[in-house]
Amino acid sequence: MAFIHPSSLLPSSNPSYSFREGIKSSAPGIQEHRFSPYADNGGSTLGIAGKDFTIIAGDTRQSSGYSINTRYAPKVFRIGGDDDSGTGAKIILAVTGFAADGNALKERLDSMVKMYKYQHGKDISVKACAQRLATILYSKRFFPYYTQAILGGIDEEGVGALYSYDYVGSYEREQCRAVGAAASLIMPFLDNQVNLKNQYVPGSGVGHDLKAKAAEPLEQSHVEQLVRDAFSGAVERHIEVGDGLQMLIATKDGIREIYTPLKRD
Amino acid sequence: MANPMSIIGKNAVAIACDLRLGLQALTVSNDFPKIFQYGPDVFLGLTGLATDVQTVSDLFRYKVNLYRLREERDISPQTMANLVSTSLYEKRFGPFFVNPVVAGINRTTGEPFICGFDSIGCIDFAKDFIVSGTSADQLFGTCEALWQPDLEAEDLFETISQALLSAVDRDALAGWGAHVYIVEKDKVTKRLLKGRQD
Repeated sequence: MAFIHPSSLLPSSNPSYSFREGIKSSAPGIQEHRFSPYADNGGSTLGIAGKDFTIIAGDTRQSSGYSINTRYAPKVFRIGGDDDSGTGAKIILAVTGFAADGNALKERLDSMVKMYKYQHGKDISVKACAQRLATILYSKRFFPYYTQAILGGIDEEGVGALYSYDYVGSYEREQCRAVGAAASLIMPFLDNQVNLKNQYVPGSGVGHDLKAKAAEPLEQSHVEQLVRDAFSGAVERHIEVGDGLQMLIATKDGIREIYTPLKRD
Repeated sequence: MANPMSIIGKNAVAIACDLRLGLQALTVSNDFPKIFQYGPDVFLGLTGLATDVQTVSDLFRYKVNLYRLREERDISPQTMANLVSTSLYEKRFGPFFVNPVVAGINRTTGEPFICGFDSIGCIDFAKDFIVSGTSADQLFGTCEALWQPDLEAEDLFETISQALLSAVDRDALAGWGAHVYIVEKDKVTKRLLKGRQD
């Protein structure tokens, strides 16, 4: 019998988040080798749709457990651009969860969108692209991409469009959505400030007579500030969020990028 | 069980809680306040196991009453914080499953004071806000984004109310209305927020 180090008989001291798991022993003398195909690389993304624009933002930290892999790994991508830099792209995809799956998903959707253009001689609509992304995700229903995606752009009416997805492709068009590690911190803030939830018109009555404030399309500069506020709050209270904030803004003129540093602690 | 929170302002503090009491997904009561008063301007919020919330709130009523008889004065929020801390640590190896929050104004200095605890009494002194309970994540998000220094009493009320209501609306285990206390020097205002009833 092979020599077994006493420590291998204890429950594994390896961190549970590791992509490559250590050797686990289930019984003395038997060694079990395991490979986990998934990891969680943290980070958060959010999207807000406006009247004639859509902003999708994400932090640029990529982590494994308590370790930071890199301070600049974009989670927000241009889809269907003419070259590697993404010029000419009109659609934005953001992915959180397992970074490798996120990149694979981005590559796949990007080539699908290009194929569409070559075959039909026109750009794909955001609506069609959203449906295509759902199909891609569902095609891996039993070995899913471990990513939560949001997709944005300008729809056929020229209005800002935003779609959010679960891991297996169930999707919905929304006004705003926060996804990822700090989603639980950011989403209630967005409900309050974008959809004006729990806000009433002052002096409109008492109790049930109170009129809820109707959500109106927000100015682009205002939305940019909301995104910054949402992320500076998340950075403060979530260890997996930080380093940099990448904002991609889709308008009828194309996609503009704003990068601002975030706290690196 | 859902959550209380407290935030600090200029010469004022606010403490608020939702009203739901539940066993996991089953709602047992929709009128279960989690904030208790221990003097003219000292408040304690308790989340966690409901039986311990009642036991602990009663225990502190007993302890604070004895303090008042012995010292012939009301307890200050700072003293209350230390009383909570030591009382919880007495049960270090069989703790009460509660996460308390203390809020108040110190009568001598006039300074507002808030702090939070873990279940064995480690104090978290904060200059801005303390949150506790099932919607702690959501509350951290809303407070971090909405809170600013030196809020006056009315703005403090609006801030804590918006922060709490928006947070509990994203938590299935919290909600059903809220109680909000605004504590100023020589004045306490208690308000009932209706909120979503679902």
